[in-house]
Amino acid sequence: MIRRLFTSRESILLYVFAAMFIAFSVKVEGFFDWFSLLEISRYWVVVGMLAVPMTFIIATSGIDLSVGSIVAMSGIILGLLYSDAQVPIVVACLAAILAGALAGAFNGGVSSYLGIPPLVVTLATMALFRGLAFGLSQARSVSDFPDAFLWLSQGDAFQIPTGAGGSAYFPVPLFALATVIAVGWFLMRHSWVGRFTECLGENETAAHFAAIPVRRLKLGLYTACGAVCGIASIFNTALYSTAKADAATGMELEAIACVVVGGTRISGGRGSVLGTLLGLLIIGILRYGLKMAGMRSQHVVIIVGALLIVTAVLNERMASSGRHAWGEAK
Amino acid sequence: MNGPILQLSGIRKSFGGVPALRGVQFDVRPGEIHGLVGENGAGKSTLINIATGLLKPDAGEIILQGQRLSLSNTRQAVAHGIAVVHQEADLFAQMSIAENMLLARGLVRGPGGLINWPGTYREADRLVTALGESFNVREPAGGLSVARRMMAEIAAAVSEEARVLFLDEPTSSLTTKETKNLFAQIRRLRDAGVGIVYVSHRLEEVLELSDRVTVMRDGETVETRPTADLTMDTIVSSMVGREVDQIFAKRSVPIGAVRLRVEGVTSASGAFSDLSLEVRSGEIVGLYGFVGAGRSELSQALFGLHPLASGKASIDGKPVAIRSPRQAVAAGLAYLPEDRLVQGIFREHSLRANVSVVRLRDLSTATWIHGNKEKALASRVIGEMNVRAESMEQPIGTLSGGNQQKVVFGRWQSTAPKVLILDEPTRGVDVGAKAEIHKLVCDLAGQGAAVVLISSELPEIMAMSDRVVTLSEGRLTGEFVPATDGEEAIAAAAVPRAVADDSAAADRRRNPLTRLLQVRELGLLVFILGLSLVMTVLRPEGFANIDNFFDILASAALPAILAQGAMLIICGGGIDISVGSMMGLVAALAALAAKSGAHPAVCLALAIAAGIAFSMLNAGVSLTARIHPIIVTLAGLSIYRGVMRMATGGKEVIQLPDAYRAVAVGEIFGIPKIVCYVVAITFLTHVFLRYTLWGRRLLAQGNSENAARLIGLSKTRLTMMAFAYSGALVGLCAVLMPAYYGKVQANTGAGMELKAIAAAVIGGTNILGGRGSAIGTLLGAFLVALLYNVLILLEASSYWQNIFVGGLILLALIVDAALQRLRGERA
Repeated sequence: MIRRLFTSRESILLYVFAAMFIAFSVKVEGFFDWFSLLEISRYWVVVGMLAVPMTFIIATSGIDLSVGSIVAMSGIILGLLYSDAQVPIVVACLAAILAGALAGAFNGGVSSYLGIPPLVVTLATMALFRGLAFGLSQARSVSDFPDAFLWLSQGDAFQIPTGAGGSAYFPVPLFALATVIAVGWFLMRHSWVGRFTECLGENETAAHFAAIPVRRLKLGLYTACGAVCGIASIFNTALYSTAKADAATGMELEAIACVVVGGTRISGGRGSVLGTLLGLLIIGILRYGLKMAGMRSQHVVIIVGALLIVTAVLNERMASSGRHAWGEAK
Repeated sequence: MNGPILQLSGIRKSFGGVPALRGVQFDVRPGEIHGLVGENGAGKSTLINIATGLLKPDAGEIILQGQRLSLSNTRQAVAHGIAVVHQEADLFAQMSIAENMLLARGLVRGPGGLINWPGTYREADRLVTALGESFNVREPAGGLSVARRMMAEIAAAVSEEARVLFLDEPTSSLTTKETKNLFAQIRRLRDAGVGIVYVSHRLEEVLELSDRVTVMRDGETVETRPTADLTMDTIVSSMVGREVDQIFAKRSVPIGAVRLRVEGVTSASGAFSDLSLEVRSGEIVGLYGFVGAGRSELSQALFGLHPLASGKASIDGKPVAIRSPRQAVAAGLAYLPEDRLVQGIFREHSLRANVSVVRLRDLSTATWIHGNKEKALASRVIGEMNVRAESMEQPIGTLSGGNQQKVVFGRWQSTAPKVLILDEPTRGVDVGAKAEIHKLVCDLAGQGAAVVLISSELPEIMAMSDRVVTLSEGRLTGEFVPATDGEEAIAAAAVPRAVADDSAAADRRRNPLTRLLQVRELGLLVFILGLSLVMTVLRPEGFANIDNFFDILASAALPAILAQGAMLIICGGGIDISVGSMMGLVAALAALAAKSGAHPAVCLALAIAAGIAFSMLNAGVSLTARIHPIIVTLAGLSIYRGVMRMATGGKEVIQLPDAYRAVAVGEIFGIPKIVCYVVAITFLTHVFLRYTLWGRRLLAQGNSENAARLIGLSKTRLTMMAFAYSGALVGLCAVLMPAYYGKVQANTGAGMELKAIAAAVIGGTNILGGRGSAIGTLLGAFLVALLYNVLILLEASSYWQNIFVGGLILLALIVDAALQRLRGERA
């Protein structure tokens, strides 16, 4: 038990996070400031939401490259319905979620029922959904949303005293992120959805033979992923007070990086939502810390990409050495 | 007769501690046909694999004409004149029959080492004709009937200077006529002095054809005798007549009413037809037959894994229509699959998860698994099955085969099945575990389950079954009671006989329309011409003029060049989505070099070298780390773009020198230079892919990694080569694009990867690898550019453009998937 505290993937990630946090706090002036840290966390919400269903999809040994485009498309639908069609904002939000779910169902249906690898399907729909966002909006951005809507991403829930008379605010969107993560964690660890997902990623043939409805499960996961993209689009739009077609560009990379840094293997079979949360924190802190240290955001992308490759390699290596350890113990 | 040409002595081989061969003695003389017979699992295939270099023996010697051989791969065996035709030949489905026959053994080549296709076809044709066959060797091998594939394989194997030829069940799917032709060929080869080892379950054939027969049993050679001394009966009795050293714990239980009734079921795939079967409560019915008899196919169809064409089934008198395993489980059916590793276990998952997987929904409320209920179930099952493990959290992959099998058995036992189908329940299981599994089977029968026991081991069937049903070539051939009917009668009923049905092996009929659709280039050309015609009518002044034509060509040019590289990578089974960013980075580096005064030729060389280096870096990381190239190149996509912005400081590079711009701007004989590049690159790629050995090997690799390994191709080298080629083209485009447009922008090359992949896929490249065409890719790129042009002329908003790239890729993929189903390349 105690050994697991030191060697489990999640605890290692926690130590890495703690070490980075301390190092940045010591080395980078202005890093350790509750106010800015809480403010910056608003920007992690959208990526964090996408990373949760992505954990499931990668655990099946699939991938979804279209998540960023679905966020943009759903956001545009939300914006156009609200500003042009004048529908109530709540209905527009529901429509955005529905649009996301339909887009996800399309990905899942084409890849699992026609047998085309999800990586090419979602590569194509990445362009397709982005194209829809541009086409529907004609590259026009929509703003002037009601304050109550913007509050979702920009609002403060309560005040936190930070000592020395200062105070910070707890951002409202973190509740939404926490909910998505909690649901994802529950489904992965404590429900048969997660168990079947991991079985399917480990051995798809055996999953068929064990009466797991493989195709329907995949369809469901991609649909859920799309729906979460729809939800994320609400928070993304509220955060920037704008719906535009080039929103969330490149966000698929960040979401996938969170998942992979969090220890979920690209070859499937295991998924850890807790790991994904830690991956999100590590990448978030790294981005913020490097920015505070004066690095430009375009250069930070290089580091995120490199981190993705390095951890993907580590995950595969650790998995195979883990097998050996058990084999020798026997 | 002289001494043996090939001698195997004292051969031993174990798999994971289970001995497959225990000191086998075997020899072949020149000019003889040596029959090799034995039950499934007797060790015949292992022996063949050792003799032909696929496996290394743990001990023993292989002696070819007095010389000791040490074979480490199949190519060495072929070089020594040892050839083999495997039972189910893995083949390159999308390549022609001729190429399948000759790729490993030498395609006919002409000047410059380029492949001479007419010569290759003639050679393949000659070999096929020599075998008394006539079929079109230019057709893709995937559309060929199994029988003809086998004939082609044999024709190719015979073509070599073979001194020893192993034939593993060559007639299992041949018709009488084909079998006759084959026998004539085999005899001709024997008379020419070749030593032939003929492995078959069809004892009649072995008796008819062979000069000597060796019988194997339990990894040992039981006897070798001249065929003249043998009869069907003596062979069968030495095949099955093992000492009964295993205790089969059959316990008699009262037999009740009929639980499972199957009437006239026929498989949709043709694996079995018109089968009827009844199994009663408490009864164990043994289903005996050789591999390919349809045993597993029948059970899997009943379990909802494969569709039935006709027939009905009922459980406890209630008709059931099972279309999925879930429905089967709900109806009270359980199926213990034959291949434990592939179909049974989740290796890295715990014992607990492996046991509970089928019951998980019953143990849950609103998807929430009750952890304690799951643990209780797992510990009960582990206890009842007597699984020896440290803890239920241990990954199942760390257990022995017998214990793994008990866990999977327990998984199904826990569903309290009404009908239990056991497919080779004790294969690869040690003696102790075997007896335990037999006891568990009896326990289940005692609880009233109807049990179907499939096994290749006759003693097991004899000891465990109340009734035995024999299956041969998809049909029921007899019903026996083990207590009164002997082993020989049952074995004889299961032995396959040559089918007299010639029409069964007829090639899939194909209608001319699908045939035409397969020529992708033609389809694309027709579509392009049709669209152009429509546009000429709609917009005569805007569309139909030479300037517009060149405009389309120019905008198609760069994607067309990049697409040739993407096409090669996809052909080999990979993908690279970083080419756009890579091109941006290289473009910036080359442009900066040009502005600092480097000669354009130097810049071009530099760019190409950089492109190759980056691209091979992608491939190298993916190969050494064994992670899919999509992840590496997804990360590369942002890394290269980031590095580019570092290099340029995020600014445009403008005012490129005129000499540099002249690389792309201008005309040669009135044709824009950029078009000349496209033509040259397309031609080069076409020649490479179609006429060089390396191009063909790349395609073979993409067709079937497994078959490619069998003929000794290196995945690393082929993948590196494809990426290097693509990298060179990225380098070229990185110079051409800025030279043509006069500047490098921060987003130069962005989205190019999609256009390149779109062109390749529209041009008929199979996204799963193995098929591609340079000309098709060019037409694909042209079509994309044409569509853009049309949209602009029709005054559609440019913001809809992205939809077309994505939509076209999807459309092409879906059409491809449908066509492949039509051709039977995919299940």
